Amino acid sequence: MSSPTSALEPWPETVDWRPVSRDLIWVETISFGSFMIFVFAGLGIAWALSGHWLLGLALALVAALAGWRVIVIFRAVRAWGYAERDNDLLVRHGLLVRRLSIVPYARMQFVDVTAGPLERAFGLATVQLHTAAAASDAKIPGLPPDEASRLRDRLTALGEDRAEGL
Amino acid sequence: MTTSLATGPRRRLHPLTPLLKGARALVVIIAALSWQTLGRVGLGWFAAMVVAALIGQVILSVISWYVTGYQVVGRELRIHEGLVFRRTRAIPLERLQSVEVVRPLLAQLTGLAELRLEVVGGGKTEAPLAFLTVDEARALRERLLVLAGKAGAAVPAQAAAEGEAVAPVAHPERPIHAVANRDLLISQLLTPQTLFLPFGVAFVAVQFAAEATWSFIGIASTLTAMAGVLLQPVRRILADWNFRLASQEGSLRLRGGLLETRSQTVPLDRLQAVGATWPLLWRRRRWLRLRPHVAGIAAPSSGDDSGGGRLLPVGDPETARLVLAEALPGVALDTIPFTPPSRRARWLHPLSWRILGAALTDQVVAHREGLLTRQVLVVPYARIQSVRVVRGPLQRRLGLATVYADTAGGPSAAARDRDVSEAWELAATLAERSRAARSVPAPH
Repeated sequence: MSSPTSALEPWPETVDWRPVSRDLIWVETISFGSFMIFVFAGLGIAWALSGHWLLGLALALVAALAGWRVIVIFRAVRAWGYAERDNDLLVRHGLLVRRLSIVPYARMQFVDVTAGPLERAFGLATVQLHTAAAASDAKIPGLPPDEASRLRDRLTALGEDRAEGL
Repeated sequence: MTTSLATGPRRRLHPLTPLLKGARALVVIIAALSWQTLGRVGLGWFAAMVVAALIGQVILSVISWYVTGYQVVGRELRIHEGLVFRRTRAIPLERLQSVEVVRPLLAQLTGLAELRLEVVGGGKTEAPLAFLTVDEARALRERLLVLAGKAGAAVPAQAAAEGEAVAPVAHPERPIHAVANRDLLISQLLTPQTLFLPFGVAFVAVQFAAEATWSFIGIASTLTAMAGVLLQPVRRILADWNFRLASQEGSLRLRGGLLETRSQTVPLDRLQAVGATWPLLWRRRRWLRLRPHVAGIAAPSSGDDSGGGRLLPVGDPETARLVLAEALPGVALDTIPFTPPSRRARWLHPLSWRILGAALTDQVVAHREGLLTRQVLVVPYARIQSVRVVRGPLQRRLGLATVYADTAGGPSAAARDRDVSEAWELAATLAERSRAARSVPAPH
């Protein structure tokens, strides 16, 4: 394997990073927003009834935080990436704490494909590769169904091919 | 052992099982009824209640014994249980990680034993077979291990066809090491719990003397607290008494125990990692302990090193070298070339950055950490499940990264706070070497 050249992008010539779908931004934003609506409503009603300035301040703070969170979601979704190499799957994610996982196909125990209602509405699915180690995380959210099933089939095929289990 | 390898007869557990389980339940029943009840209803009624509950328990145990059976079918161990809800568990033996024969005190008196199987994916011990006669338990253990070993070699059909010809051959056992009970006692005296106990007692006594209020609750709670503090060292002494380690045909056999004797068999190729710990108080004697990490055996909660098995409860470096040479051939703790992390890691670990270290040898990846209680973890390349590179916000500012090599069910070897470019290189090397190690069969 060639040595990494850049600190930020290891092995640029051998690794072909693929992004996850941008629609994941909407999924994450909506699920975050639906939670925030209740907070806003609660604070807003309380402010309207009592008229205390502290509640207004809290509302403004929450709004600012929510806006910041949405920006973070934008960037976090762009930070997700995965790459299929000959022998292993690479997954990177995280904004504050950046994580890169290298999971050999041979170590695969099973593959999970999940899609929640919101994900389905946007035509997305999540593929997760499980190994015998609980610590290894290889979860790829925001894949179009075609890509998800292609990845699942490829992973299972490669896993059977190179099965080692433990 | 007279049956063919393909399908064994369905067998029951030992008929004394319900009585032993009933005796075990006695303690629980008394605890459940509590001293308060005793005070309220008087001794006669209390005894009657205990007896009634006990009889009920024994009847239930008898029914459960009657419907429980085990059977070896091909490469599976099947356990049937349940009267109303029938349950059959099939335990694939290729996933067997270790087998343990446990003999609690009562079982020792009656010549019985419990067989515990550890299987990957089970958070707790799968399938405890309690109770069998000792001979039965040993024979079943040998048989399961032979089957489990065979399952790895891809000739199950042939094995089944050959039947008895390949059935258990008694492999001679080679003793490796026995821990002197004196060392074990001293080592457990040299724990913070035991060392600080006199001070604690003195402190409490002085307080009582000053206050001169010897209330019952005060004394009782002091005693309870003392017992709680001493519980861990005492438990270790009980568990590791007469500890002996032997090797037998590609597996390690760990024995020990005072009240409850255990004999655990760990196939060498199921050993995921080995941890070595040098507690601060043992340092003058240069003692250390070794711990095997096997998938399926619940790992003790972090920091607490009391649970799980032991390769060596206490020993000097020479003994440790001897034991480690058996567990991971070709690895010696004192020759692992640890390199410290980048100097910039001093900002994150001002005191311990010199201790932090990681090393790659030709067979294993290892890490070292802990300023006071030094710990080394050794993971063979062939057992690495995945490699991770993690960079937290501070680490990114300092240009550092931590590389983890994960094992199944065990801890991850972590090269902490390496220089980023070194970390990428490390990750690439680990991925490469673990692949290479997987593709060649293990040396033993």
